[in-house]
Amino acid sequence: MLLMIPLSYNLRSLVARKGTTLASAFGIALVVFVLSSSLMLSGGIKKTMGSSGSSENAVVLRKGADSELSSTFETRLINLILAAPGVKKDETGAALGGGEAVIVIAVEKTGTAGKIANVLVRGVSDNVLKMRPEVKLIEGRLPQPGTDEVMLGKSVRGRYTGVDLNLSFELKKNRKVQAVGIFDAGGSSFESEIWAGVDTVKSSFGREGLVSSVTVQLESGSKYDAFKATVESDKQLGLQSFRESEYYSKISSGTATFVSAIGIVITVFFSIGAMIGAAITMYAAVAQRRREIGTLQALGFTRRAVLSSMLVESIVLATVGGLVGAVASLFMGFVKISMMNFATWQEVSFSFTPDPGQILISLALGGVMGVVGGFFPALSASRTNPVIAMRA
Amino acid sequence: MNLASLAVRNVLRNKLRTVLTVLGVAVAILAFVLLRTVIWSWTVSAEYAAKDRVATRHKITFISPLPVRYKTQIEQIPGVTHVTWASWFGAKHPTRESDFFQSIAVDPPSFLAVYDEIIVPAAQREKWLSNRQGALVGESLAKQMGWKLGDRITLAGTIYPGDWQFDVDAIYTVKRSSLDKASLWFNWNYLNDSIGARRKDEAGWFISRIKNAGDAANTAKRIDALFDDQDAQTLSMDEHAMNASFLGMFSAVLTAIDLVSIVILVIMMLILGNTIAMGVRERTNEYGMLRALGFLPKHIASFVLLEAMVVGLCGGGVGLLLAYPVVEQGLGRFLEENMGSMFPYFQVDASIAGLALVLSIALGLVAAIVPAYQASKLNVVDSLRRVG
Amino acid sequence: MTQAGSVAEAASNTQDLGSKAVVIDVKGLSKTYFRGKEKLDVLRDLSLTAHEGEFIALMGPSGSGKTTLLNIIAGLDRPSSGSVRVAGADLAGMSDSALAGFRAANVGFIFQTYNLLPVLTARENVELPLLLTNLGSAERRRRAETALKVVGLSERMDHYPRQLSGGQEQRVTIARAIVTDPKLIVADEPTGDLDRDSADEILSLLRKLQTEFKKTIIMVTHDPAAAESAGTVHHLDKGKFK
Repeated sequence: MLLMIPLSYNLRSLVARKGTTLASAFGIALVVFVLSSSLMLSGGIKKTMGSSGSSENAVVLRKGADSELSSTFETRLINLILAAPGVKKDETGAALGGGEAVIVIAVEKTGTAGKIANVLVRGVSDNVLKMRPEVKLIEGRLPQPGTDEVMLGKSVRGRYTGVDLNLSFELKKNRKVQAVGIFDAGGSSFESEIWAGVDTVKSSFGREGLVSSVTVQLESGSKYDAFKATVESDKQLGLQSFRESEYYSKISSGTATFVSAIGIVITVFFSIGAMIGAAITMYAAVAQRRREIGTLQALGFTRRAVLSSMLVESIVLATVGGLVGAVASLFMGFVKISMMNFATWQEVSFSFTPDPGQILISLALGGVMGVVGGFFPALSASRTNPVIAMRA
Repeated sequence: MNLASLAVRNVLRNKLRTVLTVLGVAVAILAFVLLRTVIWSWTVSAEYAAKDRVATRHKITFISPLPVRYKTQIEQIPGVTHVTWASWFGAKHPTRESDFFQSIAVDPPSFLAVYDEIIVPAAQREKWLSNRQGALVGESLAKQMGWKLGDRITLAGTIYPGDWQFDVDAIYTVKRSSLDKASLWFNWNYLNDSIGARRKDEAGWFISRIKNAGDAANTAKRIDALFDDQDAQTLSMDEHAMNASFLGMFSAVLTAIDLVSIVILVIMMLILGNTIAMGVRERTNEYGMLRALGFLPKHIASFVLLEAMVVGLCGGGVGLLLAYPVVEQGLGRFLEENMGSMFPYFQVDASIAGLALVLSIALGLVAAIVPAYQASKLNVVDSLRRVG
Repeated sequence: MTQAGSVAEAASNTQDLGSKAVVIDVKGLSKTYFRGKEKLDVLRDLSLTAHEGEFIALMGPSGSGKTTLLNIIAGLDRPSSGSVRVAGADLAGMSDSALAGFRAANVGFIFQTYNLLPVLTARENVELPLLLTNLGSAERRRRAETALKVVGLSERMDHYPRQLSGGQEQRVTIARAIVTDPKLIVADEPTGDLDRDSADEILSLLRKLQTEFKKTIIMVTHDPAAAESAGTVHHLDKGKFK
């Protein structure tokens, strides 16, 4: 007795009903596309923010501040911090660390009529590149220390009116700066920033004597605890410290979670819709093929064989749709979107980062939809009474 | 019985398929209503913004403050009736760090004059005006945090570090949606007196109330002209524009959600169209018979279109029936209470409900156009031929 | 619905020609189909006449063109050449919508299967053709009920087709075919799906229509018994009368 109905029967039936097969497959492709893309975006956010900052660097903020933007403390504290244990020294014996002043400025987005975005301007110390080795100049030259020259992260150029290489723009009234270089920062959020000298930022915004944060490079990741303990020990100073990587992870988690949440909610709705669509199609297919199914049963295929056959058909349909959706989502890898990071109010560029795990999850979802959507129709098919079916 | 009721009854032919289709449409409508309500709730502040108020902030960055003395100059501009100022305080509940809310330092008497939509009992109002450490708390926020009138609360400052104590002197609600009910307002003097000399006498932004809403744009220009040659230049716009530009920062997210809500409608049309097309294919003989009896192609097309619209309508109705409890009671309550400043009013707006219903009918129509046309063009003789 | 003239003829199969009106007048009718490049002559130069009250059966093997001839006379299809006059109307030159109107006013249809709409009751199915008239709903119901009485199915008026037997369904179909009081009744294999007893019931009903109500009936059939019920039998082969 034949056990399994040949797969070619199912494949040919799918091809014969091109119209409805395509419609159902499209629905499933769409669902998989949405899930995969939102997982990719969430991953991209985590990657961008997560690759910002190394675990061998430490960031010191004012105690109680939840980000650099709301943190200010006096410059006299910088030397205290730099003298703490664990801070790496460069070849001259100077500590690898410095104060940074961070501010967000409003600029007009290119090509929009007055739509404003907030771009983060980071006033950095002269040795910043030694502390952040992932930052590399890719065009132009480095700004001269002590001048009003700035460099732009590569995601910044072209996005804002008047802000591009060799252009001069106003940080503030009567404070012109000139962009002399473009830097790459390994996909981190630094690429969405403008870097100026720390004094330029401080004097432009009346922050003389204040900094937002101090960043230091540690001798090694294991030295962090000693460093932290020293910096936080004196409650009068009112400081707190994080590993740089932890800090960026913290300020991006809200946004990443938000994107994932929305993506998942949307996917759930889409999935239900796609499964209903698949079920409708499969039911109609079964109704149309009652006679064939009755014949198959008369030939000796069991009910179970019929059930599995119809289920397999549904799964094949869903898997093909799922593959199409997953492949399409990979194209999103070429897309970069700019959105506001909730925690810091700054606009950051994120990309869609594909991840094999996510692709597999999305495909699995496609398969599941095929099973769930096709189960009841398949059950109905297996309940065909061959005698009645063939008499029609 | 008439042509219309015939079309309606055809819906009941294949009950399982109709139920599945109605369900599919309902889910799509539910998702649509949910997403649009998210957008609506987020943007409602912009929509309902007062048109007779102008906001003024630092031109370059909202982080930089403006000198408080600007107030007297702004007041001189003809057409301006009241001016107040505010500074972002950014406090957190010491133990509930993730419950974000707005805390803002204001000048109480001018604040109440400018924001006349605030409703607060007279006794509480007086208390707040006379107590330097008093806090005026929105009723949603009070509920969320469990604060009662008369409570002394401690908040952790982020921009102005340390522990700050306030007395919950007044709880307010609003008579218009132009202000949320989830913020905490306190006396600016309390802040100003407690901070170092460097940061004294600064305001985050100014809000001016003007006599004629139509003068908003001009007034904004005049304010900015006043301070153009000062170190701290200003940027003014009416409250509506200010909120809109604020929302513009979220534009990527809003656009994405917008797009998705449209895609959902497309999916809905696919499901509906597929179902209708299947029905048409199955009823070829019947359409032939009706044509033989003398019914015209346009009659056949109307049957198909009407049927689709009825299914769409049922789906839309069911979707809305599901939407109200899910959006308002479930998700809505949660968001209003826990994320009250982002989503001050999360409810299914009548316009969204109406839109959803109209769309479910209209899209049913659109989805059925091609099947209806094909059904009407069937050759009578061919469709009468016996099948199988 | 009018009673059968002033003279109620006794049940009789004889046709009394001469003074009766001509209901069907076909001359030189040809019908050709094109399947790709192939030309199929389905009907060749046929002529046929029928007077009021005649009951005609068309018989012949498959492919003989009998259904095509029926369709053309019923106004469902147009001839390639020749003239077709039915109930005084010249069908050959009529547009599709004019033909639809012609059918609604003058022709009652009985098919082999799929006659009734499953979502309507027997009475509502019979009312269907009346939806194309200007009659109000009360009047439509009255006429439908009368027609159902004629075919003897009054007590099943509110039943759905799935609750009726094959023979009962065909009787409802016949009621529908007469509800507009058409001049011509067209039947395509009316007894094809029925058992012998039901088939005989249907045939006797058709004879009743012919004799009591003076309906002109033209029927395509394979059933010899049906042919016997008819007054005239035409045999077709390859598009021509034998």
